[in-house]
Amino acid sequence: MQRLKDILRLRRGPRSEETDVAPPLDADNGKKPDVKGSFSIRVDDKAFDELRIILAGKVEMDNADLVRKELLWVIETEPLKNVVIDLNEVEYFDSSGAAILVEMFQACHRVNNTLRLMQVPKRIETVLALVDFEHYKTEGILQPLSEPGFVTQVGEGFVALGNNSRDILTFIGACVEALARDLIRPSRAGWERLWKLIERAGANAVPITAILGFLMGGVLGFQAAIQLKKFGANIFVADLVSLAICLEMGPLMTALIVSGRSGAGYAAHIGTMAVNEEIDALRVMGIDPIRYLVSPRILAVAFALPCLTLFADLLGVAGGCLVAMVSLDLTPVGYYNQVHRVLELTDVLKGLTKSLVFGVEIAIIGCLRGFQVRGGAESVGVATTSAVVTCVFVITITDAIFAVLFYYAPSLW
Amino acid sequence: MAQETDNGSSGPIISVRNVTVGYGSEVILRNISFDVMEGEVLAILGRSGCGKSTLLRAMIGLLEPQRGEVFIAGERMQSVIDGSSAPVLRRIGVLFQSGALFSSMTVAENVALPLRQYTDLSDGTIEKLVVLKLHEVGLAGKERMLPSELSGGMQKRAALARAMALDPKILFFDEPSAGLDPVTSAELDRTIVKINETFGTTIVIVTHELASINAVAHRAIMLGREEKELIAEGSLENLRDRSEDPRVRGFFNRMPLES
Repeated sequence: MQRLKDILRLRRGPRSEETDVAPPLDADNGKKPDVKGSFSIRVDDKAFDELRIILAGKVEMDNADLVRKELLWVIETEPLKNVVIDLNEVEYFDSSGAAILVEMFQACHRVNNTLRLMQVPKRIETVLALVDFEHYKTEGILQPLSEPGFVTQVGEGFVALGNNSRDILTFIGACVEALARDLIRPSRAGWERLWKLIERAGANAVPITAILGFLMGGVLGFQAAIQLKKFGANIFVADLVSLAICLEMGPLMTALIVSGRSGAGYAAHIGTMAVNEEIDALRVMGIDPIRYLVSPRILAVAFALPCLTLFADLLGVAGGCLVAMVSLDLTPVGYYNQVHRVLELTDVLKGLTKSLVFGVEIAIIGCLRGFQVRGGAESVGVATTSAVVTCVFVITITDAIFAVLFYYAPSLW
Repeated sequence: MAQETDNGSSGPIISVRNVTVGYGSEVILRNISFDVMEGEVLAILGRSGCGKSTLLRAMIGLLEPQRGEVFIAGERMQSVIDGSSAPVLRRIGVLFQSGALFSSMTVAENVALPLRQYTDLSDGTIEKLVVLKLHEVGLAGKERMLPSELSGGMQKRAALARAMALDPKILFFDEPSAGLDPVTSAELDRTIVKINETFGTTIVIVTHELASINAVAHRAIMLGREEKELIAEGSLENLRDRSEDPRVRGFFNRMPLES
């Protein structure tokens, strides 16, 4: 016992100096520690047949971890004795204390000891009764989580994938149906909402598209200029910039901007509507949410995106022109003539066709992710992120498909 | 109105027949059957989590029952989840727990939406109707405000105006007093009673607010959380004052189960 006390003192000494949380152990004279807001753990050396731990002071959330470590250490140091914890001198005791005691019961159980509480004051008894201590001290609090097996996990993954695919297909089908109904009965379609949506998806995106389009053309031109200068092929900067912008960069970049603006916006808007029961309200009013919310958005983006793309094409070519003038000493007229010579209408149309498809995809994906929202705010965030990521992914794939299609089927264009 | 229905002078306008509802494989309520008489105010009671709102969702077609059927005005209620529009929808109005006003529209546009959906009224007529409806719920002059600019109680009332826009035969309320102070809640109760008395509207109200139940309900059914079924049905007076069932007595007397 003396050895244990020495160890305790040794352990407590430096730490109490450092943190001033635990008072120095004062087991010899058995005096109650007078440090406020703290605790002490003493071992009663009069009890020979058992390990009697006297817990004193305050046990609260702030020092719970320290109390836990100390108690655990004392119990594990004397594994052969039955343990008794005396709570008579505890001034304050909250639910963290109850959690610690549960853990002590479990710890004693592990080393085949018994643990008993003694001199439990009435107020602590009340706390323990409130948290159903008697139940948890035998059962323990932490039940081991049953990890599903590998096969189960794979199976669940496939079921989820299947459900997701079914949802997507159903949704696309519903969108097609809604658009068809709009075409059949245009008077019932929400045209007045359409203009507002076009304004938001299209007109409001003009400044950012303009800036990025111009810079993109400029950067392309600049990189091309460095290489072309070496061969004295300065004039070909116009070919490179105009074709790259109109065929690839313009549609792709604009689609990415609109994914971030409108795709994410639709997912967040519709997702929040789902959380607020607004979608349900539409349904019980007999209003098809797909037709009311999705089909005008598809039409809006499908219209706005090609317009924005054309705009980005123009400014991109202009950006290339500026760089050509500054770093390659080309004249605007020379640049224009070269663009005119090399760029065909079909090139621009190819880009616009792509952007039309991108637009439909962005609107469908944004709305779909919104409709998939279940639960609360976090789910809306997940849907928004997922909308942008899915848009970028699908747009890139579509772009690749178009590249192959345009290359192998030029006669179609 | 209550006497009329108790005498059975008018038949059931809503019939719930052997309905079992749940999500996925989980069953929340089993084999529920009850009728709602025309013109009465029926309260669906029960403790939190007993499936009151789920039952309501099944009644209005937002949740397909796993088994059983709901008939409204003699017509089988179809699921509206796929956006289908049954004619019966025109005859019901729903006040959702959160109000569910469309946040991007003004109060007037919200109330006008069902009118535009179901009628061919001119814009001028709709505008006037909207003003009248808002006046009915005490929101005159708030037409141009957005839902976010209204207090919780006002949002509920605006949503009520929208639910009543087509003068429906049946109104469903999902916890109308949730999150409202006692005074606002009492005002809403009074509006509900007024609608019932003036238009003879059948009202189904899901709630666990004793004050609301006492103020508005004629008849009530009670659902059991553990039993997962209907545990009591009857007139409010019978349930409140004469029931021997400890679960019903506990509910009306605000007693915890242990005591």
